Amino acid sequence: MGMEEKVSFFKDGLRLDGRRADELRPIKMEVGVLARADGSCYMEMGDNKVIAAVYGPREVHPRHLQEATRAIVRYRYNMASFSVEERKRPGPDRRSYEVSKVSREALEPVILTSYFPKSVVDIFVEVLQADAGTRTAGINAASVALADAGIPMKSLISSCAAGKVDGEIVLDPMKIEDNLGEADVPIAMTPGGDITLLQMDGRLAPEEFRRALELAKTGCQQIYEIQRKVLVDRYSSISGSGSCDQAPALAEDEIHE
Amino acid sequence: MSDVVMAEIRKDYLYHLVLKGERADGRAFDEYRDINLETGPIRKADGSALVRLGKTQVMVGVKIQPGEPFSDTPNKGVIITNAELVPLASPNFEPGPPNEVGIELARVVDRGVRESGAIDLEALCIAPGEKVWIVFIDVHILDDCGNLMDASSLGAIAALMTAKVPAAQYNLGEDYPLPVKDIPVATTAVEFGDATIFDPDTDEESVADTKLTVITTADGSVCGMQKSGPGFLSQDHIYRIVDIACERAREIREKFLEV
Amino acid sequence: MDHKDRDVVVPGDHLSDDPKKAGEGTYVKDGRVRSLLYGMASSYKDKVRVIPLAGKYVPSPGDTVIGTVQDIVFSNWIININSPYEGLLHISELPRKIEMNEMSKFLRIGSSVMARVKDVDSTMKVELTMNDRRLGILTRGRVAEISPTRVPRLIGKGGSMINMLKKELNCNLFVGQNGRIWVDGNDDDMDLALKTILIIEKEAHTTGLTDRITEFLRAEKEARS
Repeated sequence: MGMEEKVSFFKDGLRLDGRRADELRPIKMEVGVLARADGSCYMEMGDNKVIAAVYGPREVHPRHLQEATRAIVRYRYNMASFSVEERKRPGPDRRSYEVSKVSREALEPVILTSYFPKSVVDIFVEVLQADAGTRTAGINAASVALADAGIPMKSLISSCAAGKVDGEIVLDPMKIEDNLGEADVPIAMTPGGDITLLQMDGRLAPEEFRRALELAKTGCQQIYEIQRKVLVDRYSSISGSGSCDQAPALAEDEIHE
Repeated sequence: MSDVVMAEIRKDYLYHLVLKGERADGRAFDEYRDINLETGPIRKADGSALVRLGKTQVMVGVKIQPGEPFSDTPNKGVIITNAELVPLASPNFEPGPPNEVGIELARVVDRGVRESGAIDLEALCIAPGEKVWIVFIDVHILDDCGNLMDASSLGAIAALMTAKVPAAQYNLGEDYPLPVKDIPVATTAVEFGDATIFDPDTDEESVADTKLTVITTADGSVCGMQKSGPGFLSQDHIYRIVDIACERAREIREKFLEV
Repeated sequence: MDHKDRDVVVPGDHLSDDPKKAGEGTYVKDGRVRSLLYGMASSYKDKVRVIPLAGKYVPSPGDTVIGTVQDIVFSNWIININSPYEGLLHISELPRKIEMNEMSKFLRIGSSVMARVKDVDSTMKVELTMNDRRLGILTRGRVAEISPTRVPRLIGKGGSMINMLKKELNCNLFVGQNGRIWVDGNDDDMDLALKTILIIEKEAHTTGLTDRITEFLRAEKEARS
């Protein structure tokens, strides 16, 4: 912020990649992409490429971390060395610790940890290519991976950011907009609108912040539909439909009622 | 996050199959699983490759940046190879810096690239004694279903072969393809029940106590080897592995790497 | 949006506006019944429930399980039962009396057993027993692993699927609630049994499966003869 050369972010009302102010970057999601993990999801959000995996619930190591009445949730966000412009030294840095913490806190509120005392739900997110918005992509992928692993949750979590460039509030800033723009507001929320992640940096008037939050929410809603679809479609392609007239095929487990 | 003790009943089954000349997934002893190679999936890297070897998945990224040469080789570029066995890829991988397994993997991949002369280090010199190109080869394991070595090696050479030196952004001329002068391919086999099994999967790796990796070049020379694991290797088996390794490597080279 | 019976649902999907209908796999918030799981919605009797399509096995008293001995600690064998919780088999829970110094000789690390869950306490301590003629140490055969969520389908309504398999497959079959299945027979018969079990796992959520499997087995046996 405060560069000597003035970059113009809009041309004929469109952003540098041809998007309107309220448009998300193209999204691609695939569920169940890893064999070893209990749940997994690969996601592309614009040029961001992330893969999320869930292991758990499983035994906690070291034992002393376990909690008597609930599962603990761990989230590890990590960037591959080749994911960024200048090769990054492997391993966590202060930024990835922070991203890991807020991402975990974005998902924890919906996970029913009381179902699995003395265990851990491990969430791992690897960023393979970064272009602003990796933490939001990670949370989106992690949410689907958690469902894929069969973790009981109150709902999925969807995440998206809004920013400000050239005085305009824009949805899902890409890297150049994030680097040279005036603000960045990543959020995560339940489909019902409860916010579980909220960060902000830059400078916004309170009214602008309100607009940014509302815009980010619309982004989250669109992402939710994609997350839901990728999970549901996975089974309808095998069975051919979602409905039937016979007794439910999976249901014969009265012994456990 | 620790290795689960394998059921004896499973071990017995694998040995039983081997005595019949069979493997659990129906492959021949010297047969590889299906390989899928995608080059350039990471556009922002200078070179990249995603390798699928059976269900094993490995992503390799190459970044090329200017830097200082080592003082004892002032005219030569630098190759730095690292492998990250991230916890996402296996219940047995823990977060943290590479342990001996990860370090061994990186060093053997590096050996293949370096000893084959695939990269002409002197061609990477920009200003002798001051500036050279540093080639980072970063192996990122995504799914460990056995034989990470061969998958990582294949990914590394494929990423290098499709890499470009980003000279333009450093005002050092135009971008140009990284000159690659050889195509090293690693072939790994494990021993158990007196049989030599190539491209082991997770269970086969667990049961075996000895593993041998042989890296061969385009003209069939051996440019790297590594025996790992606490067991014995007979000389006969070693020679047989080398022979088959040359053959398998040639097939892989022809099918995936020579265009 | 209400979901129909047998729809695939995700956590948070709205199932009903009647809290009295809330069954397994659901929760109630603000008077509405929602799914807790990624699974299939099911109206059964007058409850709406969600049957999971994925998830780990959580031991329950009475379950029969197949496990592998990981360790021997004092008078307990520590058994991996493919769950976030390990099983403890106490020396007193065997069909015959064993001394503590004979434990490894009787049942060593790496051995597999068919056991029953005797008790699970509030600290998730899982006690197993082998004190039953139908249980015991597995010395032959093979063990396959499927998602525990598919075990009910493998068993079938009133045992319909598993009984059909036992009849048609010429193998001994034992299904553990923890997703592990033991088969014993000759090599070819075990191969067919395992192949069939994996098909059932993959298509567990579809309709007409028992008929399709019966037909599949008939075709396989014809091809063999």
